[in-house]
Amino acid sequence: MEPQTYAIGITNLAKLYGKVTAVENLSLEVRPGRIFGFLGPNGSGKSTTIGCLTGLLDPTAGKIEILGQTFDAENAAIKKRIGVMPETLGLFDPLYAHEFLAFVGRMFGLDEVTTRKRVTELLDALELTDTSKTLAEYSTGMRKRVAFAAAVIHSPEVLFLDEPFESIDPAGVALMKQWLRRFTDQGRTVFMTTHVLETVERVCHDVAIITKPGKLVWQGDVTVLANDGVLQFNGQEFTALEPLFLHLTGERYKDLDWL
Amino acid sequence: MNLELIGNLIRLRYKLLWANTRTRNGKIALFLAGYLLLVMVVALLAAGGMGAGMAAVRSGHGTPLAGALLTGIFLQGILASVVLGFGMAVVFSETELRRYPLKARERRLARHFTGIVDPFWILFFALDLGLAFGLYLFGAGSFWYGLLAVLLLFVCNYMAARVLAILVERLTSKRFGSMIMLASIMLLGFLPALLTPVLQKNKALAAALVRLWWSTPPAAAGVAMTHADLSVLSAFGVIVLWTLALFAVLVAAERWPRKTAVAQNAKVVWEDRMDRLAAVFGPRTGPLVAHWMRFYFRNARFRTIYPLALPLVAVLSFVFTRQTRGGGPFSSGVFPIALGAFGILGFVGTGQFAVNQFGYLGGGFRRFLLLPTDPAAAFRAGSYMFVCLSGALVLPGAILFAVFAPIHTGAAMLAMLVGFSLSSLFLFHGIALWVSIVGARRGKYTQSFGNDLSFAGNIVIIGGMLTMLFGPQALATAWPAAVSPQYWWATPLLAVVAAGFYFASLRGASTLFRSRRERLMALMEGRG
Repeated sequence: MEPQTYAIGITNLAKLYGKVTAVENLSLEVRPGRIFGFLGPNGSGKSTTIGCLTGLLDPTAGKIEILGQTFDAENAAIKKRIGVMPETLGLFDPLYAHEFLAFVGRMFGLDEVTTRKRVTELLDALELTDTSKTLAEYSTGMRKRVAFAAAVIHSPEVLFLDEPFESIDPAGVALMKQWLRRFTDQGRTVFMTTHVLETVERVCHDVAIITKPGKLVWQGDVTVLANDGVLQFNGQEFTALEPLFLHLTGERYKDLDWL
Repeated sequence: MNLELIGNLIRLRYKLLWANTRTRNGKIALFLAGYLLLVMVVALLAAGGMGAGMAAVRSGHGTPLAGALLTGIFLQGILASVVLGFGMAVVFSETELRRYPLKARERRLARHFTGIVDPFWILFFALDLGLAFGLYLFGAGSFWYGLLAVLLLFVCNYMAARVLAILVERLTSKRFGSMIMLASIMLLGFLPALLTPVLQKNKALAAALVRLWWSTPPAAAGVAMTHADLSVLSAFGVIVLWTLALFAVLVAAERWPRKTAVAQNAKVVWEDRMDRLAAVFGPRTGPLVAHWMRFYFRNARFRTIYPLALPLVAVLSFVFTRQTRGGGPFSSGVFPIALGAFGILGFVGTGQFAVNQFGYLGGGFRRFLLLPTDPAAAFRAGSYMFVCLSGALVLPGAILFAVFAPIHTGAAMLAMLVGFSLSSLFLFHGIALWVSIVGARRGKYTQSFGNDLSFAGNIVIIGGMLTMLFGPQALATAWPAAVSPQYWWATPLLAVVAAGFYFASLRGASTLFRSRRERLMALMEGRG
């Protein structure tokens, strides 16, 4: 049997909402043990792509392979091996954090003792010890921490994170980054979207940039930047991710003279 | 006073309403609501207003007649809004209004202006106006006094409903609030039956109550609509005083601080009852059933409605069994009423939630699709919970009936009642599965009162209640043997057929769920 060369493989993925194209012929591969940053401007199809990769959405066309198996929304075996922190978090507001995490743990097949142990440890590590509040009463940052805990409670092999660091305080972000590095050191894979390019440069190994509508325009290894290397596109060289991103996505903001 | 901004908010309220009609369900609802409005206005103009006007001319009792009709409309408005939740939706919350340059007083006005222009209240306005117009046409009172009385009564009616709704909401959020509500509703149900013999014996008390009634807003409005002299002034005074008093109570109630949670760092407490109960469904479905139980038993509306189901059905039965004489719609006897009541018992406790199972999940819906199970597993688990909870009421209902029924109850009769209740349970929950998918609507979990069901959901709930109330009566009239205990085996047989329908629906609706899950997700997250 051939060794698995990539953890996530996407071939000609397309997603249409009626006549509107959200993702167009997207193909990319993510190697195992890497933190993969998936970047693009607002509305470029990042969350739609993650939706297709995690079974939330059905692709209109194309093929998705995760951990060597073809993946679709009905593939419970693969779902068991992945962890997802969706953009809208997917929390049940009337529950307490420990109840929510225990529910997720049980659904992912953890036994009762392991579930309770992991829930307690996660709540403690993520400083979610305020047990008198339901999830509805939590702040945005705390809700994000709970969603992160739910994504990792079953110790997945591939982790999908949609905007994981937004609204979380610096200490929380530092902790999460540390966990993610340890996670990939063990050969596991992280696929994440974020708009914070500095974070991407520091945390991610590989990056893909898409433009509207979900079209891949650049993919490469960004670890070279840490060793004073450069990123290349069409013969042009970029010493940081931000100028490359702006060059590729063509983001231009109109000058509002009244502002 | 920033009237321009308040006016803009009212316009926005109607724009939002109009935006809802972009969906297919919205178009159907708009068509039927418009149609019903027209029919009801015409019906009241003809039957109520003109009839009252005619009675005023002919019998000289126009004032009490108008007062009685207005009292009926007034109470219907309060009941329909507080109990069924029509016209009680908060279009713009206080937090939302704080974004705009409005002072506290202006925000309160904006909230209530946008509330009072709800089509539901406009309907009641049209009903009152129709009556005033009818009275004027037949020569009772002045048109302008009538119009003014309608306007004042309309505002007063809205205020009364708001005050009652807010008090009920606060009450049900308390620990024993639901139980107090339960007792109050039961008392209200029994009150006419309890009061009638007392009032028949004690004429002085009856007269005192009538005198008291004349000081109520609808009775005063009746006076204002049928007179053109100085007595109109005191009638207006009564309505204005009531409105001011209600407004003061409303302001006080809105300012009444809610209990807020205090942060506590305590050890996690594992509450296992739900998990233990749901464990009977096995390791795959059990956690999902337990989750649904936790989710719904924390909902104030569910906590009120579910325990109310059995007493509500008992009250209904009691009230209707008193109408078995006189050739009315319930003259076929006690047993057909009991059959209908047991039919209602099959779904009334959970029905409102079963027809919109995902409606209160919000972003949580997405979580079900990420779990390593069939995406429809959570959907089925929710339905199992509703069926089990409603089913749990049937046996206690049968025992209570056997003990308290005013007729001799044999085993055949009880088997028939239980069979009919189970038939209704499976049939209704089977239909609810489909409605939960095709007629889903995003609701507000924290709202204690209000009707946030889709048009299809309302049709199923209200249609189901009416069918159960009048169906057995009609059957008893057309084919008396069908509701006779000699054919006791018919309803258990029907229950088996209904169970077949339910399980077929589980399978069929699961397939439909899979194909519509993206649309449902968008809807629950407020994007559809």
